[in-house]
Amino acid sequence: MKSIKLLALLVLILFSTLLAGCGGSEEKAAGENAKPKELTFSWDKDIGDLNPHLYSPNQMFAQNMVYEPLVTYAEGGKIKPCLAEKWDISPDGKEITFYLRKGVKFSDGTDFNAAVAKQNIDAVLANAERHSWLELINQIEKTEVVDNHTLKIYFKNAYYPALQELSLIRPLRFLAPSGFPDSGNTSEGIKKPIGTGPWVLSEHKKNEYAVFTRNENYWGTKPKLEKVTVKIIPDGETRVMAFEKGELDLIFGNGLISLDSFKQLQDSGKYVARVSNPISTRVVALNSNKGPTKDLRVRQAIQHAVNKQAIIDGIFYGIEKKADTLFSSNLPYCDLDLKPYNYDVAKARALLDEAGWKQVEGKEFREKDGRTLDLKLCFDSTDNIQKAVAEVIQGDLKKIGINVKLIAEESQSYYQWQKNGDFNMIFSGTWGPPYDPHSLCSSMRKPSHADYQAQSGLPMKAEIDKKIGEVLLTTDEKTRQELYSYILGTLHEQAVYLPISYCTNIAVYHKHVSGFKFLPTKYEVPLTGIEVN
Amino acid sequence: MKGYIVKRVLNLIPVLLGVSVITFVLIHMVPCDPAEVYLRLSQVPPTDEAVASIRKELGLDRPLYVQYFDWLWKVLHLDFGKSFVTKKPVLAEILSYLPATIELTVCSMVIMILISVPTGILAALYKDSLFDQFSRVLAFVGASMPSFWLGLLLMYFFALKFDLLPVMGKGTYLHLILPSLTLALGHAATYTRLLRASMLENLSREFVLYARARGLKERLIIGKHVLKNAMLPVVTAFGMSLGHMLAGAVIVENIFAWPGVGRFAVFSIFSRDYPVIQCYVCLMAVIFVLCNLLVDISYSFLDPRIKIGRE
Repeated sequence: MKSIKLLALLVLILFSTLLAGCGGSEEKAAGENAKPKELTFSWDKDIGDLNPHLYSPNQMFAQNMVYEPLVTYAEGGKIKPCLAEKWDISPDGKEITFYLRKGVKFSDGTDFNAAVAKQNIDAVLANAERHSWLELINQIEKTEVVDNHTLKIYFKNAYYPALQELSLIRPLRFLAPSGFPDSGNTSEGIKKPIGTGPWVLSEHKKNEYAVFTRNENYWGTKPKLEKVTVKIIPDGETRVMAFEKGELDLIFGNGLISLDSFKQLQDSGKYVARVSNPISTRVVALNSNKGPTKDLRVRQAIQHAVNKQAIIDGIFYGIEKKADTLFSSNLPYCDLDLKPYNYDVAKARALLDEAGWKQVEGKEFREKDGRTLDLKLCFDSTDNIQKAVAEVIQGDLKKIGINVKLIAEESQSYYQWQKNGDFNMIFSGTWGPPYDPHSLCSSMRKPSHADYQAQSGLPMKAEIDKKIGEVLLTTDEKTRQELYSYILGTLHEQAVYLPISYCTNIAVYHKHVSGFKFLPTKYEVPLTGIEVN
Repeated sequence: MKGYIVKRVLNLIPVLLGVSVITFVLIHMVPCDPAEVYLRLSQVPPTDEAVASIRKELGLDRPLYVQYFDWLWKVLHLDFGKSFVTKKPVLAEILSYLPATIELTVCSMVIMILISVPTGILAALYKDSLFDQFSRVLAFVGASMPSFWLGLLLMYFFALKFDLLPVMGKGTYLHLILPSLTLALGHAATYTRLLRASMLENLSREFVLYARARGLKERLIIGKHVLKNAMLPVVTAFGMSLGHMLAGAVIVENIFAWPGVGRFAVFSIFSRDYPVIQCYVCLMAVIFVLCNLLVDISYSFLDPRIKIGRE
């Protein structure tokens, strides 16, 4: 009898819990309605400490909300003023004088001036090795405070992408003096994240959420929203359900939800679902220094044999557009009118025949000197899109007699293959604006890159690297364009990249959200114009 | 008993030493340099200069044995080092996430007991009845359904369709219901079957026949004699499960965005964050050993014939 009573009590507790659940969510919904001008979106990782001069675990979108650069990157690669109102470049291109905006205050009320700007840049230069991937840091010789609102940066060479790289989210953004550690070395950590940006981090519960409130000291156009909450949700499906339930107002980014989920939300008609312009390119690098892909004709055959449109329609639902060149033509210096490799199976077969890889009677795959035409395609096992695309490529190449072996491992091992050049084909990608094309081209000279490894068998690799070195330092616009035409044209002709699609950012939001506009860069969440009705 | 407990706790020292050596060797056998991984996580290309700088900063440029003994020396002073990624003291980081995981695990345990004990007993008492068949089907479904799938289903129905509970996150006790239910159901299925089998075995023992012959009430026979004996194997498995639940909550933590230690550990594994992995594995070893100790101690209460410490 006692146990039956106990059981009844437990059922009652469970039932009342569920009832309380109903009440709770209604109360919450009512409470949320009473708070206007607030937006909630989600990210898959915690925002980090928001150190403007460091990288992971700091999330770029969050660093961008709090800190600002001297100049910003706008549509079409144009450089616009931000904390610097204007700038002068010396005739030899080795000195840039920045005239800093007056009246700019950090969110703690202190002034932003040339001394603080110098303090920040010097703190980054003090750890130059950490930032050696960024040519700008290697090129800066010194900084000088001319007056309270004038800062001069001296360069070792006339480095043309200096302004583009000054617009990057990290490492050259500005922390208030009160945020600096006592040692002044920000690579050891910061005291608090105080910037000049439109948002102030007001609450942060690690791995749960971060709350940003509007910076009332902000010098520019203040956001219409008063508060932005970022919920940390690692799983894409959970993010979709939280959005559908109304716990999130916006889903933004690349790869944060599956393309199937995006399509489903789009088709429901209940939300606004949008796709940005191309932000980077998804490519497969073909190794010109390993096995059968050493032969240009084999690489060209692969280009002609892959039905990219089928990939776009079947895997990307048209959300990502077909890519024919390494860089999208809307990027600076990239509108080169290169001739795409069209889908042409007959041509692909002819190229393989020409290369000596013959179809043998009764055998599935082509052979040459007794060897089968086997290629290793490496991908990241945690990336479902790579897996799906790899399977299509495997199927398409089988049609022309190439045996593609799919090799998958977790992300870090996959990067190791990229670095070692242990692949015939491997997934890779461009970095997007403002890095493209100059930063990626610059990195093509580093052996730790898939690009370097893929290009290392090209007869003109040394020439390509030389021209990359020149293009970064030339001050003449015409020469620069000619150099880029050579570099990108040669890489296209040599077929070392199989471009698949142009990656995009996606945004899905409820209809009570308005004023959303994509920005030209990948990691900036466009919050400034957003309104919540 | 006291001597036995002290002995078992002291046994932890060689266990932890062994665990730490094995973990150290294993994580260093995995390809990929943590310095490179750190840079890639930062979306920074790993140039030779940057890798060398990070390796120096993280102390990875020293010989392996120096790294291990340096780590061990610091651990003896309760300093587990700093995380390669967050740059914060590892122990403090792990301890900051642990309460959430413990909360989730304890709640799951309670749900698991509430489901499996009554179901297991009733299924045994009414063997081959409709209830037994039904519990069998449920147990098979529960045990074979992957937790991420179960979690998403529960989330879809209870959070989205019926709007009864929040989708994810940590906040009120309502946030705890779905993740702990997800974690509990798979285990509950196993325990229901285990308890049923153990009950049936004991029900056919002679002491039950004797008790019935003595005219004892059925309720007393089941509650006092059969259940107590039937609990022995269940409690053993239960002790192991507690550790498994603590260590295996990661999938549930990921799905429900629960800020637990599992998520942190998995992120650290993918980031090759050696100090965190070392500390986490040692901590889990301590938890497993302590759980087993608690199980052993509980034997002497369940079965007075087992005298712990007097072998």
